[in-house]
Amino acid sequence: MIQILSLLMSVSLVSFIEYILPPILYIIVFPGLIVVLLMLFFMIWLERKVAAKTQLRFGPLYVSKRFGGVIQTVADLIRFSFQEFIIPAGADVFAYIQAPGLLMAFGLLPLIFIPVGPYYANIFPANYSLLIVVPLIIITPIYVILLGWASDNKFSFVGSMREAFLVISYEIPLILSILSMILLYGSVNAINGVSFQIGRGIPGIVLNPIAAFLFLVVMIRTTGRFPFEISEAESEVVMGPYTEYSALFFGIGMSLPYIELYSFSLLFSVLFLGGWWPIVPSAAAASGVVGGLLLPGLVVFIKALIVMAFLVFLRAVYPRYRIDQAITVGWDQAVYLGFAAVALSMALVWSGLV
Amino acid sequence: MSAPQDRTATANLTYDELAGLKADRELVLLIGPAHPGSGHMKIKVWMDGDIIQRVDPDIGFVHRTTEKLSENRLYIKAIPIVERVMLPDTINANLAYVIALERLLGIEPTPRAQYLRTLTSEINRITSHLYGIGLYGIFLGSSTVYMWAFADREPLIDLIEEISGARITYSYIIPGGVRWDLPAGFKERAETVLQYMEARLKDYGKIWVRNPVVMDRTEGVGVVSKSDAIRLGITGPNLRASGVDYDTRRAKPYAAYPNLDFEVPTFSEGDCYARLLQRVEEIEQSIRIIRQVLKDIPDGRIISDDIYSKMNPLQKRMYEMKHRVMFPAYMASMRPAAGRSTASVEAGRGEIFFYLVSNGDKVPFRFRWVTPSFLNLPFFTHVMVGQHLADLPAIYGSSDYFPPEADR
Repeated sequence: MIQILSLLMSVSLVSFIEYILPPILYIIVFPGLIVVLLMLFFMIWLERKVAAKTQLRFGPLYVSKRFGGVIQTVADLIRFSFQEFIIPAGADVFAYIQAPGLLMAFGLLPLIFIPVGPYYANIFPANYSLLIVVPLIIITPIYVILLGWASDNKFSFVGSMREAFLVISYEIPLILSILSMILLYGSVNAINGVSFQIGRGIPGIVLNPIAAFLFLVVMIRTTGRFPFEISEAESEVVMGPYTEYSALFFGIGMSLPYIELYSFSLLFSVLFLGGWWPIVPSAAAASGVVGGLLLPGLVVFIKALIVMAFLVFLRAVYPRYRIDQAITVGWDQAVYLGFAAVALSMALVWSGLV
Repeated sequence: MSAPQDRTATANLTYDELAGLKADRELVLLIGPAHPGSGHMKIKVWMDGDIIQRVDPDIGFVHRTTEKLSENRLYIKAIPIVERVMLPDTINANLAYVIALERLLGIEPTPRAQYLRTLTSEINRITSHLYGIGLYGIFLGSSTVYMWAFADREPLIDLIEEISGARITYSYIIPGGVRWDLPAGFKERAETVLQYMEARLKDYGKIWVRNPVVMDRTEGVGVVSKSDAIRLGITGPNLRASGVDYDTRRAKPYAAYPNLDFEVPTFSEGDCYARLLQRVEEIEQSIRIIRQVLKDIPDGRIISDDIYSKMNPLQKRMYEMKHRVMFPAYMASMRPAAGRSTASVEAGRGEIFFYLVSNGDKVPFRFRWVTPSFLNLPFFTHVMVGQHLADLPAIYGSSDYFPPEADR
């Protein structure tokens, strides 16, 4: 008893700030749950607002009129919370209820392994970050397929089959794109990748533009942005896998693509946009919460926001492709582009140019 | 990408035969009537994988008994009824009915009224095509062109509101002429709107018509050959997009069209993209017609002497003061001589056909009309077979099918 007490006493305020606070900050605040929630609210609002500006209308306005309706999404969330959650008679109840939760969990998991600061490795094991992030990102759609299967609805079924086909078609391009960057940086640790970019002074998007473009395309596809909004195509399959869902579970389905978009954009800014450049904290600042963690994280976050804003704007420009066209692109042009990206990286490494 | 060649192999099978053939592979989808991509109709689709094997459109969900309603009302009271079924395009329904009624009554509208009818008809044709283009946007997933097209109907609707006093259901055309004259300064305002519309068509070209995704989705999809288009009895822009140079405005001239110089655009491809381009080109031609009408419109009365002579002195004074036609008592007691008449009008979506039979009573003995959307219906079952499920909205939207219009 005395030993335990003395152990507790030894955890001083300093060690709390040094060892316990940073992980909590990462998980809760940045890039963790609170920021994800705020990002969700902001991004959905931004998407609607930007599309509305393009389309000669106001968009969300009347909830908090002074701020341009920015808390409209909060109002929607409250509405979702008070709706009745309906389970269809023919549904596989266990799968029907658990799928959205697993979907959310696996959508959020990659965020832990995407480093948003140079001293991230002190807190989370980041040595194999890219190897962990890629499977975590790829595994999420399996639960979308489960959603569609459990709903006992033909439109859900068609939508989830579409999702399955598309996931398989765009896995290889995604892996090839990330593989080419791993080859280039010579490490599966994303922190080494960023220090590579900062050390050479060239961001990855300039080093290997093919891989960056391919990653962008896969990102649009996986997060269901236009023109690849195929598995939820409203005029064809109603809401795709989410057709039967209601209340908060539907809200999860609606917000999941944005969470995926967020983790993809963070990964994109780490791999291709120089990560936390131009802020390069010194070793002395490593233990500082603001200088070592928040500031680099903020830079990565802002870069990710710009990428996301660009992707959500595509809604106002493109209609959607047909599924067979999208699959053809995935197996055909995208795979060739992926090999080209790998070849470019190998050429750069072997020639010693970088 | 390409449709299977054996599209006739399964098209004629009954459901039971088809079920026996592909029991384990088949999926029957009921698209509509409560589906975001169906409109007020149900499309029953038999699918093998992603390929549509058979389509059965089920219509009648918005049947409004216009024919029977009109057979129990005074002739003049049928005008608001026929308008209600084709809301983006009410003037043409109104015009078709009134032409048939005038032929029954044996009266002829004045030249100025003819020009005004043409003017409003063409404005309505543009709004109808914009409606079609906008809905096609939502079918293919572009909310931008949907919002743009619906917003750009507004200036035109304001224009026609200046003439007729109403936004959608004008009831503007009456036997013998029209109800209101052009307001002062109308020509200048109309010219502004037309220039705006021309500028907007260029914007549509950038974001919609020449959008690479739109072209991928529509080119070579839902092809109707020229002979098929004639055989299936397709009408209007869908017919002309298959290369048939037929336009009621030219084939059976009415209103002021014989005096006007305009082209009837046609496309030979017959696919969804041709149908989209067809509508854009027709908007350009309508703009041209409106300019000519505003330039050439003759002076004179807007109501024929037959009707004018039946007005009471107060109504005549009102007409001279405000150029506004008040209904003489004759309108409520029209008893056309026993006989029958027909009328054809080129509406936004195709040819409206009217058939009226009078037995000398105050109400029509038989009131029959065929609307363009109904004529375009066989096109669905013919074209969708062998296409992908995702092509269904592409074909549906390109045909500009309007369920209330087909159901009447």
